[in-house]
Amino acid sequence: MFRRFLLLFISIVTLHACSSSEEIVPTITDSFDRNALLVNIADNIIIPAYEDFSSKMGALNTAGETFTTTPNQANLEALRSSWFAAYKVWQHIEMFDIGKAEELQFKFYMNIYPVTVSDIEDNIASGSYDLNSVNNQDAQGFPALDYLLHGLADTDTAILEKFTNAENNDNYKNYITAVLNQMHTLTLSVVSDFKTQKGAFVTSTENTATSSLNKLINDYIFYYEKGLRANKFGIPAGTFSSTPLPDKVEGRYKNDVSKELALEALTAVQNLFEGKHYNAETTGVSFKDYLITLNRTDIATSISNQFNIASTQVQTLENSFATQINTNNTEMTRSYDELQIAVVLLKVDMLQAFNISVDYVDADGD
Amino acid sequence: MRKVLLSIGCVVSLMACTETDPEPQIIETVAPATYSFERSGASSVSFGGQTTRIEMGGEFVSALKSTSETVASLNAKFAHTAGANNFSDADLNASSKSVRSKVAASTDFYASNTTDATAIKADFDSWIEAQVTEVFPMWDMDASAGNAGQIQEAGGGSIRYVSAKGIEYNQLINKGLIGALMVDQILNNYLSPAVLDAASNVADNDAESLNDGKNYTTMEHKWDEAFGYLYGKEADITAPTLNNDSFLNKYLSRVEGDADFAGIAEEIYNAFKLGRAAIVAKDYTTRNVQAEILREKISEIVGIRAVYYLQQGKNNLPTDKGGAFHDLSEGIGFIYSLQFTRMPNSTASYFTKAEVDEFMATLQNGNGFWDLSSETLDEMSATIAAKFNFTLAQAGS
Repeated sequence: MFRRFLLLFISIVTLHACSSSEEIVPTITDSFDRNALLVNIADNIIIPAYEDFSSKMGALNTAGETFTTTPNQANLEALRSSWFAAYKVWQHIEMFDIGKAEELQFKFYMNIYPVTVSDIEDNIASGSYDLNSVNNQDAQGFPALDYLLHGLADTDTAILEKFTNAENNDNYKNYITAVLNQMHTLTLSVVSDFKTQKGAFVTSTENTATSSLNKLINDYIFYYEKGLRANKFGIPAGTFSSTPLPDKVEGRYKNDVSKELALEALTAVQNLFEGKHYNAETTGVSFKDYLITLNRTDIATSISNQFNIASTQVQTLENSFATQINTNNTEMTRSYDELQIAVVLLKVDMLQAFNISVDYVDADGD
Repeated sequence: MRKVLLSIGCVVSLMACTETDPEPQIIETVAPATYSFERSGASSVSFGGQTTRIEMGGEFVSALKSTSETVASLNAKFAHTAGANNFSDADLNASSKSVRSKVAASTDFYASNTTDATAIKADFDSWIEAQVTEVFPMWDMDASAGNAGQIQEAGGGSIRYVSAKGIEYNQLINKGLIGALMVDQILNNYLSPAVLDAASNVADNDAESLNDGKNYTTMEHKWDEAFGYLYGKEADITAPTLNNDSFLNKYLSRVEGDADFAGIAEEIYNAFKLGRAAIVAKDYTTRNVQAEILREKISEIVGIRAVYYLQQGKNNLPTDKGGAFHDLSEGIGFIYSLQFTRMPNSTASYFTKAEVDEFMATLQNGNGFWDLSSETLDEMSATIAAKFNFTLAQAGS
């Protein structure tokens, strides 16, 4: 019976299937103002977050100069706190892999962790390195500073020793300067480019593989799935390996900041979904509004609820995810599971409602 | 709903465009629920030799990345002889089987074409040697155009070890074996009437005359051996989970995971079990129909992955050479494997050896992967996709 039905169906479809090589793309028109959505995201989320990051990055760079000029305990502590302040704001912008950020592979030069310590130490020892090389993407950025400021030795005295009396102390100082210069230069370029291109960004509202809206949404979901869910939780918790890998947490050398960074990132993700202005309580036109306009309040509510559930679960964790993984990894994998539920809501349910295609594939893993 | 309908449309259009739709026929054999066959209360299914070769292949391709290996030690894993201490597993060491003896060794394609068979084996030998003599000495150097060495994927990714042309020989060998060993043995040997019906196999099967000391007829066993090259590492063949080896089983899992091709794993499993049941029922027409389905679908795995990796490589080339070279190294291996595919109801592969050699030459021209352009990769992808019942867009993502 089914076979018969299938045959009938085949003969109907055959005509269509063989007559044209073009894939039929259904055009969905809806009354939602996509331009207003992009304007809100650009003006009230991306640009203020970029400006805040730019300012924190500038302060970090200055603190670096102060420290490398006068490496002492006070300047080390000031540099560490500038590092952390900038690192927290970074969590709000890593997801915007658009424009210059995409072109320069901004995030690959800012936040690849774990770093490869041997690469950093080799670079410092030789004093000759190219931070623009792909080989050095895991030897710079916030994670490299984390290592240099917290992980070089067990005590602050011993760390300071590397920058003062050690044989190649100049190379250590120069490396901090080089890493900060790279981060600062890239940041200025990305931020100014986005401001220049903003007009084009907010009007690119069509539903194509290269429109701003489609790329922004895809980057957003990709970031949530990879940058947040996998990198901050899944990989260190051992979701993708045979055993947990606590050394792969974000901020492993400072050690007690992985939760705070992750919560910051989760807040940023939820704020973008709900159109909440950067560092403010006001909200504007959002992906959530778009779902509601399409009569998919069910999905909109589920996503917000799931972010809240995930956030509540993450808040129960230790400040140090490495400690959490080593003492009770179940709570860590539970957090991952709650985050994963939202991946499906965003990537499948929301994108189907928007009729937007996913533009990335899951890595092969081999 | 619209999306669901569309995807049904896509799946159906694949079938609809097949040039050689078999005539509707009365199928006597009833499809069993699983690949489980018994005689006198015991299983009649047997494919130990295939599992052994998959395991040998697994240890062999892993060893290709160990710089303590020599040409001789790698050749010994590739062309194992009984009793030689080549593997970590004692059972493999004791076995009389070897991988190399079954490379390009099918009855249909190579029994009377030892010229090509010899050339293909020589290709694998040369890649093994090049890995040791060209890549191993440069293991810790940074690769550049014309120079072997290591290259890291962007974003702190994996380190890849490539030839002067950017090729990871271990990937080329691994993916090349999927064609030269698994696909060739399944499609051009064990599913072929020349093997299934050889000698007195039909009469023996009709009479249920079993092999000496075994619980199966020769024909049943031949079919099982085809099955074993795909499912030989499954813990439970009545419920395959896929992704259990580094070869065909893994890449069926990958293709099944692409929404454009979801369902292919079930089609293949169904054809295997119905064909095996047909042998038990002495219904050779049904058996042959299943063999043709398997030829088309298993060939598609190779074609889809070839196009997929060319496209992934193309996408990565501008920003991530390490990632791109890794994709292209897998791609060139699948392209090499195209010569072992088999068009349904035909004696030919989807691409001839000469056509494959041409692809290989294009990819390795000049400084090889370092010199490749998007246009070349798109052109090649389109040429490959055009021979199959899938589009470049479907396979490319």
